[in-house]
Parts: sequence; C-alpha cells; structure tokens
Amino acid sequence: MSYSILIVDDSMPMRTVLKRSLAAAGYGSSRILEASNGKEALKVMEGDWVDLILTDHNMPEMNGFSFLKKVKAEALFKDIPVVVISTEGNESKIKEFMNTGASGYMTKPFTPEALRDLIVSIIGKADYEESIDDRDDEFDF
Amino acid sequence: MKKVLMTAMTNSISEVMEIMFFMPVEIGPETILNDSGINRNNALACRLNFTGDITGNIDLISPEPLVAELASNFLGETKGELTWEQQFGTLSEMLNMVCGNALKNVKCKLPYHLGIPQMITSTDLDGTAKCTLIETMDSKMALLLSMIKSE
Repeated sequence: MSYSILIVDDSMPMRTVLKRSLAAAGYGSSRILEASNGKEALKVMEGDWVDLILTDHNMPEMNGFSFLKKVKAEALFKDIPVVVISTEGNESKIKEFMNTGASGYMTKPFTPEALRDLIVSIIGKADYEESIDDRDDEFDF
Repeated sequence: MKKVLMTAMTNSISEVMEIMFFMPVEIGPETILNDSGINRNNALACRLNFTGDITGNIDLISPEPLVAELASNFLGETKGELTWEQQFGTLSEMLNMVCGNALKNVKCKLPYHLGIPQMITSTDLDGTAKCTLIETMDSKMALLLSMIKSE
C-alpha cells in the first residue's frame, strides 16, 4: 500500500501529526510531500505526481478553499482526491467544500482510525505495484 | 453570549486534550490572570481572532514546561529535542482546534470564521483580565476570552 500523498498545512506540528497518523493508519510506506499553503502545494504538484491531497483550510497566501478550486479547475489535477482537514466544522462550510469537489472533510480533533477509514473509502487499499502501473499509464503520451 | 461561548470552549478543550494530546484535564475556576499562579515570565501565549455572531479573540497562556509536555505528546518526540517552533506551533494548533471544535457547537446566525493563530508576548496580557484555568495533573494553563463586537 504505497501512494504519493501531499499534506498542505501551515502548521509544521500538524503536518508531523498527519504523517504520524498516516503511518499509524497503514500508509507508512507512502511518499509524503509537504506544503505550507495552497500556492506552495500547486508548485509541488507541478513537479511531482500526487495520488491524494490532505489540506487544511485556514492558511496564509492561499487558503484551502481557493486551493481546492484551483486543483479542480486544472485538467491534470482535477481527478486527484482532496480531503479537507480543518478546525472549522460548520455545515455550510463543509457543504461548500463538498460541492466544489472535495472528496472528504474531517474536523480536528481526529483519531488515526477515523483518518484511515476516510482515506480507505476514497483511495482504497491498492498495492504499490498497482499504483505505479496506473501512474505509468497516465504518463504514456 | 460570552458565557455560552466560554462554556463551549471549556467543553471543547477536554475533548481536544484527550484525543490529540493524550492528557486529561479538569476545568478549574474562573479567576484573575494575576491570581492564576501562572508565571507570565516563564510562559508561552498565543491568540486567535474569530468573527461571527460575536467578534473577538481568545488567548491561551501556558507555562513553558507544560507546552514542552504537550508538544512531546503531540509530536511523539522527546522534550529535550523540541524546537521553539515545534512548541509554539503545538500551542497554536491546540488553540485552533479548541476554538474550531467549540464554535461548531454554538448556535449562531452568522457562521464563525477563525483567523490564524498568532504568538503574543505573555507579559503583554492584561493581568487583571478574567481567565478560566485548565488544570492538568501537575500544571495548569489559562484561556482568556475577549469580545470586541456582538451582532
């Protein structure tokens, strides 16, 4: 079970906690990429393929909502699942994210088990070889 | 409304502390910061602004050794190896989670929006301000709520 997962959060400790939670959830062999805001994340995505994005909302420079809109508007990125992990939990905000194309929304605090269940429901438990094969096909121009 | 908000904050902090920091807490009495027993010269503090039915800010002040313990639990690293950025970042994230978790449970007309946590100098906090104590097994921190505007 190996993926390329991009964590977007302006809080360095939160990125560390998410990496630990991913490892605890069984994604320890995944390649983890990091960015501290949406703008930085888009730059990372220009150079690296990403299977899944976990993003915060309240970030300087480019917040999670603007980032999500950019990802969904870009043909190359629009199919990448985006999970929003935020402290904000009001219903209208969650609906706004889901209607814009987020694949999931999780409010903090969260347990590694809840994170695992959400990720598995979105990207499944495909093994490393399958993930690599899929990636080769997509880059076979 | 301030009381409703503060109750939501204190309820939220127990949940956040247990789930993310593996540290049970008890909500202590409301007191004056100067009488809280927290030495502001040896503490870290951060502030989070929010807007909504009520606009204001919430401050969290914690003794440095307690911040180190929280960061160690949160990040899974030994206390002695923690950087200042990790410790302050942990305190900020804790305040962020406490506020977000609390505000989603407060009935409101205007949805609340949170700002980005900022570090503040603990000695700049008003010593005569009311605060609510959050007590751990062997230490305590304090939450201070200031309202700027109420819709």
